[in-house]
Amino acid sequence: MKEMKKTALTLSVNNETYDMVSYPNRTLLEVLRDDLHLTGTKESCGEGVCGSCTVLVNGAPVRSCLTLAVAVQGKEITTIEGLSAGEKLHPVQEAFVNHHAIQCGFCSPGMILTAYALLAENPNPTEKEIRRAISGNVCRCTGYAKIVEAVMSLAEKGR
Amino acid sequence: MEKFSYIGKDVKRIDTASKATGEALFAADLALPRMLVGKILRSPHAHARIVAIDTAKAEKLPGVKAVVTAKDTCGDKWGVFKYTQDQQFLPTEKVRYVGEEVAAVAAVDEDTALEALSLIDVAYEVLPAVYTIEDALAPGAPQLHDVYPNNINVHVVIDVGDVEKGFTESYLVREDTFTAPEDSYFQGEPYAVAAQFDHAGNLEIWMPNAGPHLKAKPLSNVLKIPLNKVRVRKITIGGAFGGRSEISPADVICAFLAKKAQRPVKIVYTREENTVCTRQAHAMITKIKTGVDKEGRVVARDITCHMDGGAYSSTGPIATSVPFLCMEQAYRMENVRYNGYRILTNKPIRGMFRTHGRGFACGVDIQLDMLGEALGIDPLTMRLRNARQTGDTTPTKSYVASCGLTETIEKTGKMSRWEEKFGKLPPYHGIGIGCNSVQTGFPMGIRGGSQAFIKLNEDGGVTVITGIVDNGQGNDHMIVQIAAEELGLNPDDIQLITADTEVTPSDPGSYSMCETFIGGNAVRLAAQDVKKKLFRIVADEFGVGEEELSARNRKIFVTNDPQQSMSIAKAVRMALTRNESISGEGSYWPKVDWKREWVKNPYGQLSETFSFGTVICEVKIDPETGQVEVLEVTASQDVGYALSPKVIEGQFEGGVAMGGQGGMLTEYLQWHEGRVLTPTQLGYLVPLAIDMPKINNIIVETIDPNGPYGAKEAGMSVAMSAAQAYCGAISNALGVYFHEYPITPDKILKAIEEKKKREREG
Repeated sequence: MKEMKKTALTLSVNNETYDMVSYPNRTLLEVLRDDLHLTGTKESCGEGVCGSCTVLVNGAPVRSCLTLAVAVQGKEITTIEGLSAGEKLHPVQEAFVNHHAIQCGFCSPGMILTAYALLAENPNPTEKEIRRAISGNVCRCTGYAKIVEAVMSLAEKGR
Repeated sequence: MEKFSYIGKDVKRIDTASKATGEALFAADLALPRMLVGKILRSPHAHARIVAIDTAKAEKLPGVKAVVTAKDTCGDKWGVFKYTQDQQFLPTEKVRYVGEEVAAVAAVDEDTALEALSLIDVAYEVLPAVYTIEDALAPGAPQLHDVYPNNINVHVVIDVGDVEKGFTESYLVREDTFTAPEDSYFQGEPYAVAAQFDHAGNLEIWMPNAGPHLKAKPLSNVLKIPLNKVRVRKITIGGAFGGRSEISPADVICAFLAKKAQRPVKIVYTREENTVCTRQAHAMITKIKTGVDKEGRVVARDITCHMDGGAYSSTGPIATSVPFLCMEQAYRMENVRYNGYRILTNKPIRGMFRTHGRGFACGVDIQLDMLGEALGIDPLTMRLRNARQTGDTTPTKSYVASCGLTETIEKTGKMSRWEEKFGKLPPYHGIGIGCNSVQTGFPMGIRGGSQAFIKLNEDGGVTVITGIVDNGQGNDHMIVQIAAEELGLNPDDIQLITADTEVTPSDPGSYSMCETFIGGNAVRLAAQDVKKKLFRIVADEFGVGEEELSARNRKIFVTNDPQQSMSIAKAVRMALTRNESISGEGSYWPKVDWKREWVKNPYGQLSETFSFGTVICEVKIDPETGQVEVLEVTASQDVGYALSPKVIEGQFEGGVAMGGQGGMLTEYLQWHEGRVLTPTQLGYLVPLAIDMPKINNIIVETIDPNGPYGAKEAGMSVAMSAAQAYCGAISNALGVYFHEYPITPDKILKAIEEKKKREREG
């Protein structure tokens, strides 16, 4: 580690540009949480299985714990903090709150971003498509029923 | 006018907007100025004598600011009970499981901390170890502790009525043995703790917890500082499920590192550490002998259960008792004997879990199905005939003040169309039922009651101060609902200060399902205290009696003449000008038998009330692959009164996922000797959205005479009975009763094969 050299790193996160100097082996998750203090992105497994660290890279959901920060330079990164506009929640966030889809909330940022990406690609998904899309995100509290309901409510609006 | 404004309604949970935006801070999210990274060195051996620990090289590494070993913690021990104090925060003589804490460092960054750990030399003398209940009990087995002969940590004996006579008088008796390996809590949030000391010697500490006061006392003991210097702070918590109630060595280590370094320190567990080094659920071997009469009513029951407790006591006496107590609450049984043994092995420590005793409960339930089949009585009728009723007294002498078990069985049966389906489904289709009952609070000594304070502002808004903790289930929301309802305020008018030992009074914590019943009652009483004081002022002003007033929509008004009203803000200001105190205080102590003790005296009122649940599950099995497809689950519980129906549904659905889908199909820890092979999501299969079936929820309300608005608990009965329903449905689909859980595809294929062989052989 001591022999590794820091390199320049420029990231665009939530429409803001950050110029940093960082070790090239740092993950996007580490840079977001430790350097940019965007702690809405969570670490639960650290090996790309649970989806808690999901962020969007050019609109697509990505596991930030398996992504090197240097690899996403020049791309637009969206974290949960970038989803709401000022005081107003994004409709996906609003739906999760209204449908009681959040209990402990640890998986919620990743789950919400995954749902957001699904709806951006497919505004009118079926229940099965929703379940498949969020099956890379583990929730231990809800049994997923209310999460699926929340996303379905947005799909129905798209109809 | 409706009876309630907020109680019984689906008001938006007060805590979820901040969770949806990422604003809510969990312990791992904390960043304090000059904060260091803490890391723990763990035992690579299941059982070994510690010969020497040399930290000199680690201490000299640049960037290392503190190193902690057992020298710092002075060998101090922890135990939930006086007679179970057997776990040193850092061991001085022996390590007893792979993963046990040995030493720790705090350094400027993670890489330096990890490098420092590699520089700590620990000389071990490896000792023979035991990994199973059978090996631990074998003559001549290695002993884990001096104080527990034959590795028997706890032995609970309950003996009621005349069991032998009961068996003699029974029409049919059978005996079976059921087993299940360890399962994992698998909270979304891995354990994390952050601590800092100021120069006056005050400790501030943040960690996921099921009760801040449960953490503060042992910290005060080991740090040898008074309780008012231990400030366990409120933090968002990513699930507990029965865990996180006890002190963790990580809490103590983090505090010592922060003290030595005089800088804030944060320890964040990896997923593997969370699985191995916090708590696990017990493995169990349960032998059940049940005698029934011709109508299927239980006449006598004799249960012997051996639980693999791992290396230390933890909540041992409670854990050894609760699986039995749940079943004695759920089903009537007059002559009953229970021998519960908690056995020590060189494996990680086991604690209380939301679905504690899946092997136990499924055994009791599936045996009812077996007995029913022999008698020609279907499983649902078997349960109706044995169901606990309001006004009963359990074998261990708890009065049951409210019980809707029969109603849950009937309603769940109707909704799932049991009568149309049971015995009439095509091959490899099955339907099963499970029932369970859970306590709402145990006798917990001086921490058994809850207190709440309410402070008013001159604009009529209030701050509620209570020790109630929210692990994610919605307890904070429950406090706001109750306070808003009682005071006639809007939820927005209520601020909370909760779960902070510097400010909030004693509370049992989110443990044994008691927060709504005990903490909720205390908040309600505090709000009623405030209301009474405000009513006195308004009654004076209007020249009416206090009992003629009501509070709603931020106003106090004459109930029969609502035009005659005063805003609560004005009433508060009048109180201030009159120099009258209007702060409120409430305190609730559950009516339990304080002489009841888990081992010495397991008789008397255990809990003031109990919840009851029924789940019915329908499955279809692929005989080629052994895969279970769950078609539909109907979950029902007597919750007393539903303060927030959607929150309760969320508990049911999460309970079905954890207890049924995970607990009976996929979740178990795999081992090589004392080492966990499946500590992460890759090997430990937690249900995903695609796995989950359609779930129907039925909330049954019995209006408990003493619960706040009649409420009891809502988190556990469904989780428990879901496992039993899944087990029954799979057994019904295959015509084979399963004795080993979870029921994985390999077991299903083997059962199908054996059944075919039996049929071929005639």
